[in-house]
Amino acid sequence: MHMNHCLRVWVVLLGLHVTISHEVTNDVTHEGDKDDVRSEDVKFQVLGRAVVPGVRTHDWISSARVLLDGDKHVGFLRSDGGFSVSDVPSGSYVLDISSPTYRFQPVRVDISSTGKIRARVLNYIKTSEVIQLPYPLQMRYAGPHSYFIQRETWGWSDFFMNPMVYMMVLPLLIIVLLPKVINPSDPEMQREVEQSMNMLNPNTELPDVSELMTKFFSPPKSQKKPGGGTRVPKGGGPGQKGGGPRRRVKG
Amino acid sequence: AWLGVRLAISVSLLFTASAVFEDQVGKFDWRQQFIGKVRFALFDTHSQASKKLLVATDKNVFASLNSRTGDLFWRHLDKTGPEGHLDSLLMYGQDAVVVVGNGRLLRSWETTVGGLKWETVLDTGSFKAAALVGVQDLVKYVAVLKKTAISLHDLSSGGQIWVENLPDSDTVQYQTIYSEGNGLVFVLGLVPNSHVVIVEYKIEDGEIMNKKSIQAAWMSSLESSCAVISSGILLCVDQITQSLYTLPLQSVEQKEMKQIHLQTLDLEVASGFQPVLTSTQPNPAQPPLAEFFLQLNPDHHILLQLKDGLIAPLRDFNPSNLVAFATTGEKTVAAVMSPKNETACSINLFSADTGRRHLDTTIIYHLDPNVGKPNKLYVHAFLKKDDSVGYRVMVQSEDHTLTFLQQPGRVVWMREEALADVVTMEMVDLPLTGTQAELEGEFGKKAVVTDGLLPMVLKRLSSQFILLQAWLAHLWKLFYDARKPRSSVKNDEVTIENLSRDEFNLQKMMVMVTASGKLFGIDSKSGAILWRHYLENIQPNSGFKLMVQRSTAHFPHPPQCTLLIKDKDIGLASLHVFNPIFGKKSHSSVPALPRPILQTLLLPIIDQDYAKVLLLIDDQYKVTAFPSTKNILQQLQDTASSIYFYLVDSSQGKLSGFRLRKDLSTELIWEVVIPTEVQKIVAVKGKRGNEHVHSQGRVMGDRSVLYKYLNPNLLAVVTESTDTHQERSFVGIFLIDGVTGRIVHEAVQRKARGPVHFVHSENWVVYVYWNSKFRRNEFSVLELFEGAELYNSTVFSSLDRPRPPQVLQQSYIFPAGISTLEATLTEKGITSRHLLVGLPSGSILSLPKLFLDPRRPEVVSEQTREENLIPYAPEMPIRTEWFINYNQTVSRVRGIHTAPSGLESTCLVVAYGLDIYQTRVFPSKQFDVLKDDYDYVLISSVLFGLFFATMISKRLAEVKLLNRAWR
Repeated sequence: MHMNHCLRVWVVLLGLHVTISHEVTNDVTHEGDKDDVRSEDVKFQVLGRAVVPGVRTHDWISSARVLLDGDKHVGFLRSDGGFSVSDVPSGSYVLDISSPTYRFQPVRVDISSTGKIRARVLNYIKTSEVIQLPYPLQMRYAGPHSYFIQRETWGWSDFFMNPMVYMMVLPLLIIVLLPKVINPSDPEMQREVEQSMNMLNPNTELPDVSELMTKFFSPPKSQKKPGGGTRVPKGGGPGQKGGGPRRRVKG
Repeated sequence: AWLGVRLAISVSLLFTASAVFEDQVGKFDWRQQFIGKVRFALFDTHSQASKKLLVATDKNVFASLNSRTGDLFWRHLDKTGPEGHLDSLLMYGQDAVVVVGNGRLLRSWETTVGGLKWETVLDTGSFKAAALVGVQDLVKYVAVLKKTAISLHDLSSGGQIWVENLPDSDTVQYQTIYSEGNGLVFVLGLVPNSHVVIVEYKIEDGEIMNKKSIQAAWMSSLESSCAVISSGILLCVDQITQSLYTLPLQSVEQKEMKQIHLQTLDLEVASGFQPVLTSTQPNPAQPPLAEFFLQLNPDHHILLQLKDGLIAPLRDFNPSNLVAFATTGEKTVAAVMSPKNETACSINLFSADTGRRHLDTTIIYHLDPNVGKPNKLYVHAFLKKDDSVGYRVMVQSEDHTLTFLQQPGRVVWMREEALADVVTMEMVDLPLTGTQAELEGEFGKKAVVTDGLLPMVLKRLSSQFILLQAWLAHLWKLFYDARKPRSSVKNDEVTIENLSRDEFNLQKMMVMVTASGKLFGIDSKSGAILWRHYLENIQPNSGFKLMVQRSTAHFPHPPQCTLLIKDKDIGLASLHVFNPIFGKKSHSSVPALPRPILQTLLLPIIDQDYAKVLLLIDDQYKVTAFPSTKNILQQLQDTASSIYFYLVDSSQGKLSGFRLRKDLSTELIWEVVIPTEVQKIVAVKGKRGNEHVHSQGRVMGDRSVLYKYLNPNLLAVVTESTDTHQERSFVGIFLIDGVTGRIVHEAVQRKARGPVHFVHSENWVVYVYWNSKFRRNEFSVLELFEGAELYNSTVFSSLDRPRPPQVLQQSYIFPAGISTLEATLTEKGITSRHLLVGLPSGSILSLPKLFLDPRRPEVVSEQTREENLIPYAPEMPIRTEWFINYNQTVSRVRGIHTAPSGLESTCLVVAYGLDIYQTRVFPSKQFDVLKDDYDYVLISSVLFGLFFATMISKRLAEVKLLNRAWR
């Protein structure tokens, strides 16, 4: 039954169509042509506004342009900050305002084939994500371009914050202040210092490197020290200079 | 943790690597802005003091120039291509109306600010004419004539008042509009060789008031042969009948045009020359003047007047090249340029209504053989204090040069607009100074052979003496300049004579080739044009290839550049050999090239004069050598078996490799066919010849070495699919060995389309394409490695590489459009590489190659940290600090040229497009020179401080020792 109903409707519709087409055949074909043209050739206009707060539009609009997908489509700014990009076919575009001084957040603009326009936040990674923005566009000002980096300037604070300076200054302080704090003539203190010195230098057997060096370079004498210069051959001339001291230290 | 910190430091260092400090602005960089070939130019006559000159050019640029200096007030760039084409420029008061894109858009600009006033979209239909329409002495409307319709728009708001279809627009070609402020707009149309159609529209509502057709069987074009003069009289000229025709537009009774034989005026049009009528309508709300110019042959004009229906000559200008009308206040004058002698032209002013010459108004225009013939005259007339008329002229020449002159012939400014279309360029080292050259000459080969020991010593002494002398002179000059007040010391003007190489070879000669066939030599330090050379008879769509055959290193032989000019239509080529420092044409004999040239090859083989040999391969695969001395031919015979070259035939999708034979014929060795039904070859690039690779491999985290695949014969071939559907389009990249034809690697990027920009260097290829699925630009990098060991570390041979390279690839999102791509280049290749990316906004981004490294890890490990690899992130960062040209944007950047300097840290960069920008970049910072802000005061004060501290402490120690000794 349902099928029948449907069929009947179709027949009626067909009949209607036939009658109409009989009457205005010429017009119909003509309209069809026009429709074809529209689906491919119809262009739309993107509208919006961009304002730099605190700056007169006169001062920046002459060097600014509205760019759609690079410079595929170009628009210009009016003195009230408004702009329109004309002749844009349907599709999805990135709209940006290019100005050498000021920066604006780019926006993605989608134009449907019927001419419906929506704006959304530009996201290159999740391209299908939709966070809608008002249309006509209100371009968000994102501050002036910062093209330059600061020179490293020399200041006293840098000087005092430097660890190398601490490494220099602290020992100096210790050298100058320690004798003032500790009374060196106090015998008790003297002993204490001696003890701590011994702790710092536990191996008194180990000879001082500088001492060794002086000895090594001085003309050979038959002088003996604990820690052993004995194993050094007498002919330890300049040729073996490199090896000599190391071995001694080991010993 | 320490590694992490180190990585953070190195990354942060990297972020600052190529940034500009604020105090460096203008120190070593400069920019020149251009507009292109002027199509319309209007002087602002609204007020006497106005300096504005509005121009619209063939580069779709609409700009306002300062007529006193030639600088830009502002400039607007429309879309490139026919959609941004500026069809017409009209000006009234402060407003300029522009018709754009074949009558698609009507825009009104506020000329003082450079802001848009209004914009209206017009109906489709090809544009024919536009005119300002006045009513009762006031201009209120602008009328636009299309092929099938006419529309009237309000001048203050752009609103459409009415639009009317033109009658019989399928047969009648409507061409011009005329109005004179009487409430009517006339549209003039023509049926060629039949009749003229005149339609009258009422301004208020667009009603057709009258329509008539007049027989004119001789007429083929209205625009070129007719003009409207004196209260609506159509005046036409015909060469064949040697007659003038007049017709009052509004008359009802006159049914045909009145013929006036030129013979009756004792005039004759040169045969084969289309005579030109020039009339003037100073105010669109009033009828034009009754006086007009008639051009009878290329250098003969005559000023005529229509009075009481009769035409009478006022003054005959024979010879005269160019004429122009100009109006100031109520006075209209005519400026006429006539040849004076071989080297100069004189421009004189005549009053339009009488033809009488104004006294003391001569401007001498010097003809420069390097500028091209003048072809257009723009006159700016103004009233002087004594109410006489003064004027300045702008002369446009064949090579697009604009010269602005004032009396008595002073060139106020000059704009080389040919530079708006630079095609190719090279940077050439400057020559040594005379004294340096003297010293160099001492070690010449001949000198050593002929001279003995003693003369050599004497020679050395004398050259040293000359050096000393030069140094003293330099010191004296410094001292002398220092004594003079600062203002009187002129900046050292650079001229060709005092050009010399600086110690770091930072200053070079930029040789630029422009599309109009004009060559320029520009000093890279200052941007001054040092020489120019205009090559006449260059076809408009010629291809150019510039090669440096001999550099400046071979004193006393002058450097030599060769420009190959190829006519793209017929393929025939010619050579222009010149000295890149002075721009002079060289006298060396150039081989005749009777056949089209397919490929050129610059070989490192040199003749006795140290010029590299250039091989030209023609369409029969025959090779011509230039220079072709006996020595060269002998060398070519010896090395022929190792000379290979490739040819690309993109129409057949064929790449073929050839080898040179001893008799300078060639044999085909390999052929790769990329089927054209599926994809087409877009571009083929080898590596740059002057590129050095410092390190053979990369040290990995585990201290092993990954060797680079450094094949000097590798070609990168980019293809695009013929199917442009979003889902099926792709971009392909093939790496082909140019000697063996072996395809080393191929990669396909699906759902991608061009335009593809790519750089091929060292062991990597970086390319950019448009991802049509996600609608974004993506970078992809291919890097080739041999592996952990090198097959033959001493020499690379394409014929003996058994193992294919390992190929690594990674892709990244680039969050901006791309206009062009290039890589930095340094002397020895030690400095890290950066990619220079030209953006559509005009900025040039310096992107560290570190970001484009296919070994960037997704998961960070100890080893990758050790290698300083940045963890992978899909989106490429763009930081404005990386813009090497800060706010000096380079509009429509089309190419970036990089050249090494004498300093390893420094790379010279020239970006060209509509503008030219030159700068230096330091990809790894300036590691080999002291920084600009090096604190000399601090370091010297510390040194002195330490010195004095030692002195004082020494003294104190002595005192202390003495005291102790006494104790």
